[in-house]
Amino acid sequence: MAVITDALCPFCGCVCDDITVVTEGNKITDVKHACKLGAAKIMGHHRIKEPMVRDDKKGNFKEVSYDEAIDAAAKVLAGSKRPLLYGWASALCEVHKKGVLLAEELGGIIDNTASVCHGPSTLAVHEKGLPTSTLGQIKNRADVVVFWGCNPVQAHPRHMGRYSVFARGFFSDKGRKGRKIVVVDVRKTDTANIADEYIEVQQGKDYLVISALRAILAGQADVVPAAVGGVPKEQLVKLVDTMKAARFGAVFFGMGLTQSQGRYKNIDNAISLTTELNSFTKVVIMPMRGHYNVTGFGQVCAWETGFASAVDFSRGAPYYNPGETAANDLLYRREVDAALIIAGDAAAHFPANSVRHLAKIPVVQIDPYWNPTTEVANVVIPTAICGIEVEGTAYRMDGVSLRYRKMVEPTHPTDIEILEKITERVREIRGE
Amino acid sequence: MELLIKNGAVYDPVNGIKGDKTDIPIKDGKIVASVSSKAAVIDAGGRLVMPGGVDAHSHIAGAKVNVGRIMRPEDTRIGIRPRTKITRPYTGYTVPNVYAMGYRYAQMGYTTVFEAAQAIMKARHTHEELEEIPIIDKGALTLFGSNWPTMDYVREKNMDKLAAYVAWGLLASRGYGIKVVNPGGGEMWGFGKNVTGLDDVVPNFDVTPKDIIVSLMKANEMLGLPHSVHLHCNNLGKPGNYKTTLASMELAKQVKPSRDRQVLHVTHLTFNVWGGTNWGDFESKADEVANYLNSSENITTDMGQLIFGSATTMTADGPVQYANAKLLHAKWANGDVELEDASGVVPIFYVKQVSIHAIMWAMGLELALLTKDPYKVLLTTDHPNGGPFVNYPDVIALLMSNKKRQEEIKTLHEAVHKRTKIPGIERELDFNDIAIMTRAGSAKVLGLLDTKGHLGVGADADIAIYDIKPDQIDPSVEHARIKSAFSSAAYTIKGGEVVVKDGQVVATPAGRTFWVDASVPEQHRNEMLRDIRLKFKNYYSINLANYMVQDAYVTHPNVVKAGAIPVEVN
Amino acid sequence: MQTVTVKPRKEIRISVEAENISPDKFAGKTEKEIQSLEAWMGNEKTTLGELFSVKVDGQAPAADTKLVLEGDFSRVKRIGEGMTGGLIMVKGNVDMHIGAKMSGGKITVMGNADSWAGREMKGGELIIEGNAGYYLGAGYRGETCGMRGGKITVMGNALDYAGDHMCGGEIIVKGNAGLLPGLCNNGGKIVIEGNTSMPGSEMSKGTIIISGTVEEMMPVFRLEGAEALDGVTYRKYAGDVIVNGKGLLYVK
Repeated sequence: MAVITDALCPFCGCVCDDITVVTEGNKITDVKHACKLGAAKIMGHHRIKEPMVRDDKKGNFKEVSYDEAIDAAAKVLAGSKRPLLYGWASALCEVHKKGVLLAEELGGIIDNTASVCHGPSTLAVHEKGLPTSTLGQIKNRADVVVFWGCNPVQAHPRHMGRYSVFARGFFSDKGRKGRKIVVVDVRKTDTANIADEYIEVQQGKDYLVISALRAILAGQADVVPAAVGGVPKEQLVKLVDTMKAARFGAVFFGMGLTQSQGRYKNIDNAISLTTELNSFTKVVIMPMRGHYNVTGFGQVCAWETGFASAVDFSRGAPYYNPGETAANDLLYRREVDAALIIAGDAAAHFPANSVRHLAKIPVVQIDPYWNPTTEVANVVIPTAICGIEVEGTAYRMDGVSLRYRKMVEPTHPTDIEILEKITERVREIRGE
Repeated sequence: MELLIKNGAVYDPVNGIKGDKTDIPIKDGKIVASVSSKAAVIDAGGRLVMPGGVDAHSHIAGAKVNVGRIMRPEDTRIGIRPRTKITRPYTGYTVPNVYAMGYRYAQMGYTTVFEAAQAIMKARHTHEELEEIPIIDKGALTLFGSNWPTMDYVREKNMDKLAAYVAWGLLASRGYGIKVVNPGGGEMWGFGKNVTGLDDVVPNFDVTPKDIIVSLMKANEMLGLPHSVHLHCNNLGKPGNYKTTLASMELAKQVKPSRDRQVLHVTHLTFNVWGGTNWGDFESKADEVANYLNSSENITTDMGQLIFGSATTMTADGPVQYANAKLLHAKWANGDVELEDASGVVPIFYVKQVSIHAIMWAMGLELALLTKDPYKVLLTTDHPNGGPFVNYPDVIALLMSNKKRQEEIKTLHEAVHKRTKIPGIERELDFNDIAIMTRAGSAKVLGLLDTKGHLGVGADADIAIYDIKPDQIDPSVEHARIKSAFSSAAYTIKGGEVVVKDGQVVATPAGRTFWVDASVPEQHRNEMLRDIRLKFKNYYSINLANYMVQDAYVTHPNVVKAGAIPVEVN
Repeated sequence: MQTVTVKPRKEIRISVEAENISPDKFAGKTEKEIQSLEAWMGNEKTTLGELFSVKVDGQAPAADTKLVLEGDFSRVKRIGEGMTGGLIMVKGNVDMHIGAKMSGGKITVMGNADSWAGREMKGGELIIEGNAGYYLGAGYRGETCGMRGGKITVMGNALDYAGDHMCGGEIIVKGNAGLLPGLCNNGGKIVIEGNTSMPGSEMSKGTIIISGTVEEMMPVFRLEGAEALDGVTYRKYAGDVIVNGKGLLYVK
């Protein structure tokens, strides 16, 4: 029996690094400190045992060797005019680097799950920047915390304990008692139930509400109507006052803002509000990133190509234009003629249109687990689980990079090995 | 592997060679006394030969740089070159991708570049990027000036524990030296405030920037680190700040260097030699600072030269960046690091007809031309704050040609005449001066003179050959040719391998990462670690076990040893 | 006068990047020369001749060159990019980036245009007789300015973000515009004859005139009174107050 301490959890953007894992032989038998979601991932569940292929997506899979599967995958991709390499968020940075290289060599598009999640946040950063900090700044300094369009109680269970609500720090030794927690959402979520104040906004009206707050902050409250987005003006004025009176304010936001009407403009607006609040006091803003390494993909892609996602290498150089080069843009137009989906479940999260198209083109899936994407795949290659069986780097939601160690030895080849072999085989097929 | 470079007009200031035709024998990546007749030969044909360029201050890797990329797709889409059989795609101008970073430096004949600042907690990111920058040797300076442990030990006046923390921090970050940015300000920016001078007291920590600078200089010399403390002065970007700069420089008298180098390097002075009291009476005080440098022996500086056009300001000086963004109505990224330091990234565009920019343009040049000893003023643009590094050849041409300067001055806002001295400066630097400011001097400042910055036996075989014949060119008149020659090396040789030929990358070997492993007495280290463990238990948001940069992130290390030795203190 | 007629040889699914379809690129060239101009379809480098039939009539400089595109160009991007003069007539639909960065000449699209029509336009005229997509006359991500000059007319509807970051020029949408037209307007003129929502957010300069219904007004405009423009009375607003904007928003 072995006990591993200070292990990192490979589930959500919190990247908790205080996990204790107990192993026996090469199996994980217990997990301590992780939340339900993280523990479930670490404990694991039924996996795909062998690589599989099938020509007809409606037919059964045939188990094949890794070499045969790699060959099949390479054939699909090598002949493709508009291959899409998608997913990445549940894989480590070392895998991402192989992905970018493969996309570049194929002249294809690489995109990650942020496309259906916090991609809009990046679009907002292009316009307005991002006044933020590491999570420890919030732990040590924040006395006002706003959760806007996100529900950490459900989606990031240990966030509030470790960083944002209950955590005690140098200037925040009172913990929860020294903080005012505000939740802004379209309905009263579990997080709203533990907040000091809940502000309900009508669906799709966040953009207007944020602009109203900015107008009030700019001393122009007189042009703001009696209610905006269902929120009475007095409540808006009060929120502005609360934020101005903070010693250190933190705004966390999620899908409620990125995926509702206005999308990236909602974030854009929230970032501007944060910047304008800095004329009065210290305020930072941070996206509640979902997958534990979706942030990492953005970082690797950015330093290798200059762009954080949705990079089109068709003409040999990176081209970036979400709305044109993001995964769903291309699937919607049925331009993609082959797809590689790795460490990301496209079929579960994409719009029906996109999934319908995926069902029509050759799809290679690289994943330890059976999921809806497997249903539309032609080649399935099971791999070792990053962060549990494979060591490497990931970036927490605040941009801090951390290293995952192995908890147990892998029983399958790693994503890196598979991608390298596919890349090699593609070169052979193309006669390079 | 043997190589012989023949017929080069060599400029090797360290070894006193100023244009003599000298052969350079290379074996197994090093310069040697001689090679056999089997050696491959490169005939330099009488052209200019220098050691590979050494850049002591540039923002090339890490969280700030990447935020700059993510924030500026409009910058990324400039300077795009598709992939080739040898090179990955190039992108960006002020914030290039990692590949363009290495390729473009090599194309200019540079072979060693140091990242100017990394916070310990984010050093892993810095190294991930450094690992992917091809060709050049590199290192990173670690921020210490606002760290909570630093300020605690400074307050307690416990130099032993401070030295132990520095040694440990360099190990934790695989850093090369001590970087200090707006000391004390990084902590105050945690609540949106700033220090306003060397004697301000940082609340909750009861130390002043002055204390921090002096204590870190002492710790630096106690450890005998190869580089000195590298200081970004307080009050950067404020009219009148030259006084803070001079007062900071005075502090250097309190400590003696432990090696044959400066005891304080003061960086990117373009932003810190500001006179006047507001934007209205703003003027250059570079001449006063140059005067000071002329009568001191223990301080070095670098220009931080302004380049007109697009730039991206990025620095650990968080408050300055917020002020910048507000002034320019520009997008603003801020990235404070718990217990350590701040940072901010803001795009900027320098315009010839804007008086402030015209005056700033003069400052770096004045500093370089009015300081007599070129070893005291390194050539930098504080990339990408003053401008992108690909413009170094333009700066070289400006330093070598008064004619070019005068032509440029004609296009600038007239304030350059009233508020600076540059129009009246006639001095023109020669190739020896340039070789010092971009090679010998920077290697000396960094403490790398055994292997970098010169062409004597034992040096790394990092060499640049430029397509000009020094005895047949008048740099003053033919400044355009100077600029184009330095932009595109005829040959860049790295570790004995030709990596650039006629301005094109032909090979992309991996460079090495320099970092310092300093030893301190076991007892001091243990006491310091007890304090550190408490910091992690109570304040950091990650565990100590996951904090330090692991070996996996430095695959080609060049470890420099250092250790605690007694230091002479006044 | 030089007239070049271009017709797709077959149905195009994977979009073609055809920035070489432009009067500047065709002017003074023979049929063969035009056919050998580069085009890209996904990662495949090809030629215009492979994808399109090209018929040339006459020879002239760009300003006197007319391109007639007949057929479905709904998967052909970047037509007319950077053109300085001449004419393009598209007898069908056209894909993204039609007329991007153009500084002169005239493009008429008889069908619909996809997103980013007239992106970063500097001059000239772009007419879309059908509908336009997102980001009509807008900029590239992160740039402070999109359209700087020229005139875009859409006879049908436009989608969200029309005139995003406009610094100059004029956009007329006869039909409806989607969300947030005139976002960050810094000196352009936008006329929307149909309906829209949340116009003029973060506007600092420029003019927006809306004749249809505004579903949601931004809570950032100060009502200054009423003003008649061309015989029609509008409510006149100034704003966006947040950015101390001096833009003018007219709503019927």
